[in-house]
Amino acid sequence: MKYLLKLFNSVKLAIVLLIIITSASLIGTLIPQQRSPSEYVAQFGQLANLLNRFQITNLYHSLWFLSLLFLLALNILICTLTRFPAKLRKAFQPKLIKDKKNIIVLKIKDSLGKNWGLVKTKEELKKELSSRHYRLKEEVEENKAFLLARKKTLGLFGADFVHLGLLIILAGGIISGFGGFRKNLTLSEGDILDIPNAEFKLRLDKFETEYYPDGNVRDWKSTLTVIENEKPILSKTIEVNHPLSYRGFVFYQSSYGWNWTNTSVGIWVKKRKDPSFLRKIDITVGERVSLEGENIQISVIHFIPDFILNEKNEAATRSLQPNNPAAFIEGWQEEEKIFSGWIFAKFPDFARIHSEKETDLSFELKNFNASQYTGIEAAKDPGVNIIWLGCTLLMIGLAFAFYWPSREIKIILEETQGKTGVIAGGIASKNREDFQSEFDKIMTSLRRLR
Amino acid sequence: MNESILFLTTFILYIISAFFYFSFLFSKKENLARIGFKFAFSGLLIHTAALIWRTVESGHAPFTNMYESLSFFAWSSILAYVIIEFKYKIRKAGPYFMLIVIALMALASSPLMPKEATPLVPALQSYWLWLHVAVTLLGEAFFAVAFITSIMYLVADSKEKKGQGKKSGLTSEKLDSISYRCIAIGFPLFTLGGLVFGMIWAYKAWGGYWSWDPKEVWSLITWFVFALYLHTRIVMGWKGRRSAYVAIIGFLAALFTYFGVNYLLSGLHSYA
Repeated sequence: MKYLLKLFNSVKLAIVLLIIITSASLIGTLIPQQRSPSEYVAQFGQLANLLNRFQITNLYHSLWFLSLLFLLALNILICTLTRFPAKLRKAFQPKLIKDKKNIIVLKIKDSLGKNWGLVKTKEELKKELSSRHYRLKEEVEENKAFLLARKKTLGLFGADFVHLGLLIILAGGIISGFGGFRKNLTLSEGDILDIPNAEFKLRLDKFETEYYPDGNVRDWKSTLTVIENEKPILSKTIEVNHPLSYRGFVFYQSSYGWNWTNTSVGIWVKKRKDPSFLRKIDITVGERVSLEGENIQISVIHFIPDFILNEKNEAATRSLQPNNPAAFIEGWQEEEKIFSGWIFAKFPDFARIHSEKETDLSFELKNFNASQYTGIEAAKDPGVNIIWLGCTLLMIGLAFAFYWPSREIKIILEETQGKTGVIAGGIASKNREDFQSEFDKIMTSLRRLR
Repeated sequence: MNESILFLTTFILYIISAFFYFSFLFSKKENLARIGFKFAFSGLLIHTAALIWRTVESGHAPFTNMYESLSFFAWSSILAYVIIEFKYKIRKAGPYFMLIVIALMALASSPLMPKEATPLVPALQSYWLWLHVAVTLLGEAFFAVAFITSIMYLVADSKEKKGQGKKSGLTSEKLDSISYRCIAIGFPLFTLGGLVFGMIWAYKAWGGYWSWDPKEVWSLITWFVFALYLHTRIVMGWKGRRSAYVAIIGFLAALFTYFGVNYLLSGLHSYA
């Protein structure tokens, strides 16, 4: 136990742990995380088994990685706790130095003599130190006086704030990990969804995509209504970066997609030999409509948003985005099929129509109409406020540690035969050059005083 | 007049500045370094104008693609250099530092970087874009200064060991202390901009403050390296060569977080 305490009390352990955690994190960025087993086999072959056994495929959530973080946290905690009482004493019950040797060993030091008595020298020195915002403590013994001047004492605790902040952040992370959940919901306009583990429902009133003039997406906006006990409670239009918060749940605009059932398409029919001929038809997939003035009926059998020929040379869709919309159409005369084939919205010249019977007609897929759904991420994260608390402490600590360095000047005055000798030494936790120049100024101004 | 002319003017001013700085390095005439600094400073002013111009023209923060972000990084590097030069007089670092800045500017103007200001994708439409990127890159700029002074330390130190070093001016001891100062400025900025603001923005935009995305992990790695630098130095009393090596590794990690992750690893941070 004593040995363990000693181990966790050492900064060397912290450094070793930091190096191990850094290397492990690095490995995790080189090997793709949380993919399917087959992807690892394809990429790493035999090694895939090994990666899996050591949980390198899900490294940041693996037991061994979390244990390392835990050990680091323990290390930080013990280092802070064991050093804290001494620091508190130093800050609130400082001891005056009465032995000159303890001043002479300091790096920043100086000594001088004045033709004044002890009391006057001390008062002048105190005046100078106070004007520089030093707080003073003193003791007088016969012909000697001891002074301790300090400022920015809080700077001593900067590192402790940082470490406390880090521990709180890690604790917040654990709470998020165990108590939080995230779920993707997909809603079409009008849908009402039960929110898992919650007492309310969510309704999508409206979903729209806004575009820039150049056609790029500007934003996705979903108007959501919270329904509790069958009553609408509040409505908010959410967009990326502007989520809706309600009872510890946060709803994010995270994705969008197309609902390709019930798609309707717009087709232009032309005649090669008659440029003035143009018929526009709107038709839902699965429907059959007659072409006005012609003895022919057109039907749309399939619609594919992102057309591709797969390995078996079959039509398939690569994604659910309308990157390459295509429709499979058929033409009928009474009960006889006279042609069939694919037409493409983006590549009208690539239409592949196979005719059983001579026809003069050509077809262009002009537009399509499908409803879009919105992807909402529902998240509950009980750790998040703890994280912000930790971050605040972390930043306050860093500010104190780097920009509020504590300064301490220890002085011994000794009067012999009406003259007073002054020995002074100083300590600064950071930025010693600036302190040195302040220290020199104090001593110089004392020297110059007549 | 437009933004690209301002950018080009800035680039030329930086090159002239480097020219004077290098003449100073070879001739040892202090005057040349002063002229070099003046050119670098006027470059900074024109560069600031270019960035403002770009912001007004595009209507969004000037770091939404690689060209803009490189230009902004060059700007913050010069700013960091001017601050450090003003406080600690590190003229000798000028020539090497200008080389880094010129490399960044050259990379930004390479034809591989698309220069048009494109409208913002939804995820970037947030004032956190300003806070997150600007503060992070400013922090990294101070790491860049520490990188240069650390390399100069290593050179100066080996010269001094052979007895060829200088006794005054920019001695190895001063370089070591300046590297530390730069990291003491850069580390809180990087923590605030890169990690804290990054977490807040991730929470607002993606629904989770931390998702172990490669860019997040690499900024954590960078942070760990500089944490190592500070602990070995403050608690264990490391100085000199070993500290310089850690500072160099730290900047390289920051550089990889900035560039490498985008081109070599895939993840959520796929903007710039």
